[in-house]
Amino acid sequence: MPGRAAIVGGGLCGFVAYLTLRRAGIDDVTVFAAPWAAGGRPDPGPGAGSAAGASSHADPAASFRRRAAAIRQTHMRSESDGHCLPTSFPGLAVRDARTRRSLRPLVESVADRYHPTVETFLEQVEEQRRASGWAPVAARIRTIRPVEGGFELAWLEAPADVPPAPGREGRRLRRQGHGTFAHVLVATGHPGLFVPEELRDDARVVHAYEPHDYPASVCVVGAGLAAATEWRNARAAGSSVASVRRREPLRRPLNVPRPYLSRRGLARFHRLADDERAAALRELLAPSIPPGREWDPPEAEPHVNGADQVVCATGFLRGIEHDPLLSRLAAEHDLHVVDGRLVLAPDATVPALTDGARSLALAGVAAQWAYPAADTLMGARWVAHAFARRCRTR
Amino acid sequence: MSYTLTGRLESRLAALVVPVLAAAAASAALAEWWPLELAGLMAAAGLALDLLYHRPLAYQPGWAAVPLGLLELAATMLLVRRLGVAAPLGWALLFFGLAWLWSQLLAHALLPLWRMSWGEDGGELGWRVAGVAVVALALPFAAAGGVYRHNLPPLVRLSAGVHQGPLVIDRRERLVGAPGAVVRGGIVVRHRDVTVSHVRVEGGTYGIEVLGVRNVTLDHVDVAGVELDGIHARHSSVHVRHCAIDLRGSPEAQGIDISYGLNQGMSDVERCTVVGGRDGIVVHGSMAMFAHNRVEATRMTGISMVEMSMGEVAHNTVSGARGIGILCGDRSMCEIAHNRVDGTVRDDAGGNRMRAGIGVEVEFWSEAELHRNALTENPQHLGVFLNGTVDWR
Repeated sequence: MPGRAAIVGGGLCGFVAYLTLRRAGIDDVTVFAAPWAAGGRPDPGPGAGSAAGASSHADPAASFRRRAAAIRQTHMRSESDGHCLPTSFPGLAVRDARTRRSLRPLVESVADRYHPTVETFLEQVEEQRRASGWAPVAARIRTIRPVEGGFELAWLEAPADVPPAPGREGRRLRRQGHGTFAHVLVATGHPGLFVPEELRDDARVVHAYEPHDYPASVCVVGAGLAAATEWRNARAAGSSVASVRRREPLRRPLNVPRPYLSRRGLARFHRLADDERAAALRELLAPSIPPGREWDPPEAEPHVNGADQVVCATGFLRGIEHDPLLSRLAAEHDLHVVDGRLVLAPDATVPALTDGARSLALAGVAAQWAYPAADTLMGARWVAHAFARRCRTR
Repeated sequence: MSYTLTGRLESRLAALVVPVLAAAAASAALAEWWPLELAGLMAAAGLALDLLYHRPLAYQPGWAAVPLGLLELAATMLLVRRLGVAAPLGWALLFFGLAWLWSQLLAHALLPLWRMSWGEDGGELGWRVAGVAVVALALPFAAAGGVYRHNLPPLVRLSAGVHQGPLVIDRRERLVGAPGAVVRGGIVVRHRDVTVSHVRVEGGTYGIEVLGVRNVTLDHVDVAGVELDGIHARHSSVHVRHCAIDLRGSPEAQGIDISYGLNQGMSDVERCTVVGGRDGIVVHGSMAMFAHNRVEATRMTGISMVEMSMGEVAHNTVSGARGIGILCGDRSMCEIAHNRVDGTVRDDAGGNRMRAGIGVEVEFWSEAELHRNALTENPQHLGVFLNGTVDWR
């Protein structure tokens, strides 16, 4: 008898899906969270910056926490409904209004001017983690194999009494496991940090999401919100700042235009042919920063050579070829890939591997083919709702 | 929130269920139609505006609920006024305000909590929920329609041809004349809740006489050749619409005379035409509204509101009256607005300055509020006598 649902990935997307499934009355849910990093330029130090009392794999916000700390992010770009709960209400503005005993967050939220602090967001994640019984299996999924009525997952599990360690020594201590599940959601997150090839061997280079300080002169490479945050940080630290960017950042409040967060914009998006959709995604996901003078790029002459430090605010590796699990899945089943993205059904399931009895769905950045803002909290919730519908009705 | 059109309409229908049911309950408790009529107009205005602003509002921020709510309130109140729904303003505003608050609570909290994907679905609730909402909305209106039909007075059809009067109506009844139905010698109404429509009355002392009753409607009635009044209402409240009264050849007759009906409530006369006679439309000691009427060639006054009457004279046309066009007299309180008075003729040969061809006259401790009246070709446009006072808005 296969398990009902499995979530591959213990980050925020997996956490949102877990809470949503529980809310939908589905208790038979197994979550797999890898306790060690995959390939690529990894996020720094597993375990660093996790919530008190939670090991890295058990803290769904561990990666986010580290990245937010690295770029000294104070406020979320998302609004009141940018949280992990399965329903948009009550949002973080309601929580803030209650704790601060002030109507201001609610008024700001009505005017689309409310952005919760990172601290508020993380506090809520921690509360939900403790209250929800979130206890992922510390294991890395190696393969997903379709079988009758579900999928067989094979994993490497770290014994509870052995601290997780990367590399050959770590692998020797791990034990293998496998199980079958009717519905599987893959939420493995970003495959690694991206640094432009010509800068990879430069000793001055640090990625924005790696811990760093600011020397006298800093050059920030990139044009998204992380780059803008770094301009501000370096200026505040008294550094002279230059910006190198291929294009001027778009100005918009959220990652994508708001109609693309709901069926109104998505209906048109889903009707696009593959090549049109790929082009639309390139356009929609171009670097953008919120309106406001505080985010304006520095006016100093752009230069890399003279800077003491080069901060690469260049985001993540893009494309499923960087994700071992997805790239193997695509190769084994000859899945349709366009522009580095797996082609998905509108509900973020993989059409070739999904039928009336089983579902394989993607979440996070891998689900952008179905939902352009899939790597946001709104996107995580959208995918989770669709996945919960499938789990409930099939 | 980015609504789809379907989502916008379905969410609207869901939000209307509670207010409409509350309005139905209020209608039943008060034995009045206006709560349900108000809710119906609010629903109609809201749904129509949903169609209108769907396209320009690809995304609707939370704050937009305030201006959109005000727009819907204005549209609803315009419909209320146009259709003559007797909703007290204060209660209407309170009802609308509570319904608006309920819809906000629903949209921001209850629907997202109830249906996890409500926001992502653009407000769509699915055909099952929408169907339940439609049924829940239709039921009170269907029940109200049934009650209304059940309570309608019996219908009496008056066949074409001449019927010898006087015709006395002393029970609840709707008397509807076939084309060409004529009553000779007058109609007397002695019971409340009577409607007389599409009937022509010829001859008699009074054309249609209403005595001591309320809620009498005279609709599409023609009166001609009477000796005294075309329509004569005493101690009554009447609603007269689309009437035509021809007093040519009856120099002492009055077109419509509504007198001493203060204790019976408001009377109104709309879209009637009175030609000839002594006075066109007269009210004594009553509350009345005269609107969109046409009065021509009277010998004393076109329209007069006298003897401690209260009311409104608006959007009427008075032409060729002798002496006075519109009169507010004898301690009355009159709101006179948007009327056209022209060609008033002098009648002061005996030295009576109060009949010097005056467009609008206010006299003897009466108070008149004037607003945008067009007074042309009158020997004197405005006359104020004997402690009358005039206020211009």
